[in-house]
Amino acid sequence: MNIVLNGVTVAIKSPPLASLLTVLREELNVTSTKVGCEQGGCGACTALVNGKPQRTCLTPIAAVDGASVTTVEGLGDSDHLTAVQQSFVNHYAAQCGFCTPAMIIAATAYLEGNGSSDREEIEEALKGHTCRCTGYQKIVSAVAAAVAETTFDLTVTTPSPNTVIKSGGQT
Amino acid sequence: MATHRGFGISSIEYPTGMNQNGDPSQAWVKVKPDGRVDVFSGTSDIGNGAKTIQSQIVAEAIGIPYDWVTFDNSNTDSSPVCTGTFASRATFVAGNAVLKAAMDVKQKILEVAGKEMEVSPEDLHIVDGEVQVKGSPDTKLGVADVAAAATWTHGVLMTGTGAQLNEYAEITNTLTGEVSGPPHAAISYAACAAEVEVDDETGDVRVLRLIQVYDVGKAINPSLVEGQIEGGALMGLGLGVLENSYPYYPSPDHRGYSIGSYYMPSSEDMPEYKTAIIENPSADGPYGAKGIGEMANNGQPGAITAAVHDAVGIWVTELPITPELVLRALDAKAEPRREGKLIAFDEELSVNSMASGISWSV
Repeated sequence: MNIVLNGVTVAIKSPPLASLLTVLREELNVTSTKVGCEQGGCGACTALVNGKPQRTCLTPIAAVDGASVTTVEGLGDSDHLTAVQQSFVNHYAAQCGFCTPAMIIAATAYLEGNGSSDREEIEEALKGHTCRCTGYQKIVSAVAAAVAETTFDLTVTTPSPNTVIKSGGQT
Repeated sequence: MATHRGFGISSIEYPTGMNQNGDPSQAWVKVKPDGRVDVFSGTSDIGNGAKTIQSQIVAEAIGIPYDWVTFDNSNTDSSPVCTGTFASRATFVAGNAVLKAAMDVKQKILEVAGKEMEVSPEDLHIVDGEVQVKGSPDTKLGVADVAAAATWTHGVLMTGTGAQLNEYAEITNTLTGEVSGPPHAAISYAACAAEVEVDDETGDVRVLRLIQVYDVGKAINPSLVEGQIEGGALMGLGLGVLENSYPYYPSPDHRGYSIGSYYMPSSEDMPEYKTAIIENPSADGPYGAKGIGEMANNGQPGAITAAVHDAVGIWVTELPITPELVLRALDAKAEPRREGKLIAFDEELSVNSMASGISWSV
């Protein structure tokens, strides 16, 4: 068996029913995928499998033989962050950091699926990921800003230069 | 069926640190030969931003750029003693320790700079990484040059140590619990307002808005303070309406068997947050700061409970406010819940029937 991990083909020695999560963490030393509930509930183990976010804790390695697997290590390094990663930094969207790699994976998939900057749609897209620290607000803001930055989004309206905003907030 | 909106407020008074059990935090700071600074402090950063805030305090106190500061990851081997990251004390108690250590090392830097510049250290200060003569900013020497001179010319390792230990407050009256000194180092104040929607058919309570005003003394890093408040707000929402171990807690035989059986707030439960920070400085905190961490999830359950009362006129006296508790309280209140309809009880049929003004007498 082998997988294409972050663009590099690697051979897998683990038994076929070992979870992709165990293979990533213990055989391949890729530790950004976290061991949370191991029941598919918390979302902390999510990686992109053939471009789609998938719970690695519920995925036997044999089921993804030959697949392309992307973890947050494959997105950008500290000198070349992706738009989503930079937006997470800018918006203070991490506290303890346990959910952060999977949140970034989910947000990346959301952006690649042409997600909009509508906050409710982002909340829907991230609802399978539990965060205990941030209250989600800054994460949603980070994703919305990343969408706005990478796409021309008609839902984002800015006042034209001639618009006068009065003190009551009415135009 | 109808949904009802309600508003509620609560207020919080929260003490920072503990003066009762001994509460030490210690730190030391050293200057490297290139002028950059290493901070060793016992406080672990568990996501509260302790490393960031303590590094900010050191940079500000010495007068150097923030990115010259390296915060050593705390450990039980080489780090100084710190009782830990709890009781909202990381900024206040540990922050005071690193502040004292930074002021100590700053004095050492000024002494070496004084020798190099042939000026009395009292006449020097540090601005943006440069030691300057007070009132004559053009007479200056970079902290990096001072550090190099200390290492290679004077044979001095410039270090500073600092320790914070709040005065022990002894119990003087065991009957009233009166103590000899201030029981806490600082008191933070806050208020929380909640807007909820209660469904009188299902008993479901949805929190729509949480408005929070926190007095934190001094927001050393406002974005991190906001993160603490918003994160605490969602935990408070969970305590208020979702998170429950009913019915078997605390028996370990019946603890939750899966993550899905415990309702943690997800991104879809997120209310609209409004957060305001008030800076009412404390006398003893670093730059006037107070603790914020633990108080951030104290106010929401009370505000939500009051909002539920405002919405449907019931006081729920248990947390979390589950649909079952709401429906039982509504039943106990014994008022018609269905607007525009009459609820009639038919003795013979022994059923509750609902109709518009129809009498069921046979």
